[in-house]
Amino acid sequence: MGRNLKFEIFRYNPLTPDIQPCMRTYRLEEHPSMTLFIALNMIRERQDASLQFDFCCRAGICGSCGMVINGRPGLACHTQTCDLPNHIALHPLPVFKLLGDLCVDTGVWFRNMGTKIESWIHTAKAFEPSVPEERMDNALANHIFELDRCIECGCCVGACGTARMREDFIGATAINRLARFHIDPRDNRSPADFYDIIGDDTGIFGCMGLLACDNVCPKNLPLQDQLGIMRRMVTIESVRGIIPAFIRNKLQGCGCKQKC
Amino acid sequence: MRVYHSDVLCMGAGLAGERVAVEAAQAGFSVICLSIVPPRRSHSSAAQGGMQAALGNSIMGEGDCPEIHFNDTVKGSDWGCDQEVARLFANTAPIAMREMAWMGVPWNRVVPGEHTYFKGGKPFQAMEKKENEGLIHSRAFGGTAKWRTCYTSDGTGHAVLFTLDNRMLQLGVEVHDRMQAEILIHNGERCMGCVARDLRNGELVGYFAKATLIATGGFGRIYRATTNAVICDGGGQITALETGVVPLGNMEAVQFHPTGTVPTDILVTEGCRGDGGTLLDVNQYRFMPDYEPEKGELASRDVVSRRMTEHMRKGLGVKSPYGEHLWLDIRHLGEKHITTNLREVYDICMHFLGVNPIHQLIPVRPTQHYSMGGVRTDKDGAAYGLRGLFSAGEAACWDMHGFNRLGGNSLAETIVAGRIVGEKVVEFLKGGVSDFSSQALDDAAAQVQGRIGALRRGRGEDCYTLRNAMQDVMMEHVGIFRNGKDLQTGVDKLQDILARCKTMRASHGGGELSMALRVPGMVKLALCVAYGALQRVESRGAHAREDYPERNDKDWLVRTLATWKEGATLPTLNYEKVTPFFILPPGDRGYGSGKIIPGKLEDGDIVSFAQQV
Amino acid sequence: MIASSFPAGARSRLDFWQVASGAILALFICVHLILEGSVVISPKLTDGIAWLLEATCVAQIAAPCLVLLILFHFWIAARKMPFRAGELGVFVRHSRCLREADTWLWLVQVFTAVVILAGAFFHVYTVMTDLPITVAGSAKRLHSGWMAFHAVFLPCVILHTGIGIYRLAVKFGICSKAARNRVRATIWIVMGCYLTLGTLALSRVWFLE
Repeated sequence: MGRNLKFEIFRYNPLTPDIQPCMRTYRLEEHPSMTLFIALNMIRERQDASLQFDFCCRAGICGSCGMVINGRPGLACHTQTCDLPNHIALHPLPVFKLLGDLCVDTGVWFRNMGTKIESWIHTAKAFEPSVPEERMDNALANHIFELDRCIECGCCVGACGTARMREDFIGATAINRLARFHIDPRDNRSPADFYDIIGDDTGIFGCMGLLACDNVCPKNLPLQDQLGIMRRMVTIESVRGIIPAFIRNKLQGCGCKQKC
Repeated sequence: MRVYHSDVLCMGAGLAGERVAVEAAQAGFSVICLSIVPPRRSHSSAAQGGMQAALGNSIMGEGDCPEIHFNDTVKGSDWGCDQEVARLFANTAPIAMREMAWMGVPWNRVVPGEHTYFKGGKPFQAMEKKENEGLIHSRAFGGTAKWRTCYTSDGTGHAVLFTLDNRMLQLGVEVHDRMQAEILIHNGERCMGCVARDLRNGELVGYFAKATLIATGGFGRIYRATTNAVICDGGGQITALETGVVPLGNMEAVQFHPTGTVPTDILVTEGCRGDGGTLLDVNQYRFMPDYEPEKGELASRDVVSRRMTEHMRKGLGVKSPYGEHLWLDIRHLGEKHITTNLREVYDICMHFLGVNPIHQLIPVRPTQHYSMGGVRTDKDGAAYGLRGLFSAGEAACWDMHGFNRLGGNSLAETIVAGRIVGEKVVEFLKGGVSDFSSQALDDAAAQVQGRIGALRRGRGEDCYTLRNAMQDVMMEHVGIFRNGKDLQTGVDKLQDILARCKTMRASHGGGELSMALRVPGMVKLALCVAYGALQRVESRGAHAREDYPERNDKDWLVRTLATWKEGATLPTLNYEKVTPFFILPPGDRGYGSGKIIPGKLEDGDIVSFAQQV
Repeated sequence: MIASSFPAGARSRLDFWQVASGAILALFICVHLILEGSVVISPKLTDGIAWLLEATCVAQIAAPCLVLLILFHFWIAARKMPFRAGELGVFVRHSRCLREADTWLWLVQVFTAVVILAGAFFHVYTVMTDLPITVAGSAKRLHSGWMAFHAVFLPCVILHTGIGIYRLAVKFGICSKAARNRVRATIWIVMGCYLTLGTLALSRVWFLE
């Protein structure tokens, strides 16, 4: 027989504000290969139908089920109970608007973020159906995809000390997204354009380099490196006209051997 | 009640829905997308493999053209598809892929020089051409003559969905997420939009639109074991079915995959068996050679799935808290092979099952994977029965898949059909005048209110019990192996469950009520599948009848159309010709041996690939 | 891509100045501590260096400049500090839940910054109002109660400088993700060395007579 797991789950419904937020306890017997997806569904179907949480693909791809698991943000669907102690505390992701219990409104947050940073290819070219596609180096395509792998689960934002203190901070996910467009030759934005988007304390300069984003990212995105590349680019852009060009070029090239 | 007006209303914001939305928005029309989850969480994102398009850039795809792609598609469908649509699809696919490259998809590209590729688990060398360097590359998928699947690493669906959604942001398309469409607003002739339930606060919201699109994906959740996301409950098909006038096509055509893992039903690739993995039963006995002495585990998907089910029915499955399953054994392939060639499988086992496939057995069972059937549309994506209603993607039965779809064709369909249907929606909008009836809206909203009220007052079973009962019936009686007796039992049980739904209770407003509102509709879909399968007395593609093992082109070269009359306990089935003309006349698929009862074709039925009718 | 013209719009350069001033200060601290550390070899050597720096007026000019630079650095960096009501509490709770080394390091950074801001002023004031700088003078000051001050001030300065350099490297992509653990370990070792040197120097001065 499996362990007897004790779940402590944050409960609060903004539609019934008179009922104070609280932690409610549920007990469940552990089975082999049990994930939090299975456990939470068992609790809802057998113990408490009012419990709210989000799951969609349940395969670690869609990013719906980001939550704080024993203090650390992570995806519930690919967290196995056998990797956790008997006592499991679940909270909703902070920073995002709470919709009820473990549900938060990541959708609106990420849509606003995408609009703010203009998360799309900026090109003047029109699509020509009869012409072969523009060529691209395969290694570059892989590099772009590597950064495009973000699933918008919000774990990096929930783990970010800056985002906890400053609501308008844009988060590592946004900067990673811009880094993706920065290396994409189809996007013709210049450093000055990126500067205009993230060159302030709500953007890249708000980042305090706490790196929890990088450590909790369920897709292991290279967030730290992207933050570094973007910060360097935007910082150097910020002193254009003050520091001579040859020094700026020198600074641009320094550091890790990543493509800048 | 909040009421929104728009030119186009997309129910569902996965690949198909967004592609249509983009097309309409580009033409300057106002679009609102409804989605149960934020668009980027749509199940389209989970598709890993790729999209088929005859670009012919890679060396293994050399000489490829839309006609070859078309032939593969028709053979794959077991001649159950609409050949006009399949041709349209094959011709448009390359353009649609290039267009996605322009929008920003990081397709993998051709790298010139010698490469090691795998075929049937065996490595071989091939030389990619210098002149094709940097063009879109393609990989191999089952059932195709050429390698034509465009891909971005192991996340094609994700990459394309994010690119499309970026385009949506750019065009400023309005998205209302956490919205569950409950009912279509219509007057029996014209569709005027829908009434949706806001999952944030339970309010009903009215949406008036000149054109309404159903692009809600598949309905895999009527089965207990499915690779589909938890939101793939057939919501769109249900709203169409409940109009009483819009038919669903070929609902009995449901694809299963042999190796879904237990308990989370995530797929592990066929490559496991291709490379030498074996299937074991509760006694760790390798049973497949007993059934299929020649091919063993490497028989076709449907055959393996059927044999696994048969073996479990003999009581030789492994019992677990999550239901019965069998074992997949790849331990003998060795650590190096598993962590390199089968890395994805290794990751899934480690992360989601807690099983180390190097030393342990992987629990697997046949798992529902794809629904070929859906809202029947013409080649323009316009639904039968209601003007102003369109459908695209897995939700639709546009019908290029017939009774079996090829890997890579479903994901491509979303983009290609989205592009074509989008253009037709734009044409429709330019051509038509529309008037909205607030009476129809009020009626629709009152109907949903009535359902919610009934659920609140209900004293019967809860939605989970009823849903589980339906899923069990579908697994047991309407699964991979079908026969008249089982199907009849299934239909009877489902009718009983549908009756029990009348007294269903839902005491909580959140997830429980959302589910409760869906369950009766899901049971109706299940009945369409079961009853359609019962009536179709032949075996074609994924529809395999033990009691009618041959493909009957004489009597059954037809498409099932299921409508639901109000108050009925069974769907009304009608049949239509499977295709307006044949480019590829029915013949042998060249794999999955089965007997064929040949039909007779008139001379005028056959046209050439290039000939327009 | 980089045009030579001055870009339009209000430019936010605070981050650049924060890093630039921090880097200069860090460089100063590293040199300062090594020069002070020369007392371990011989107090005479230290006196000689002090004399040289004073005779060339480097010390007299540098000291007030450094105080200003510290003020400047603090003023810029303080925009990130959790001053507003509740912010510190939120951040501390966050750190405790998250159990992340780098998040804790930032709190250390904030705490030491406040200590250094106050300490640097007193340190510079007492030294610069008691010229010339000699080891003997320092010993007298230590015995008159400044030992406790240095026991707190020295580790704070070393921590703040070391962590600052590490975080600068990380934030600007000089230290990549792959190298992070190695760089962090190196920084801790270097900080340990400086602390040892500082402790040795303090005890040498303390036991001078």
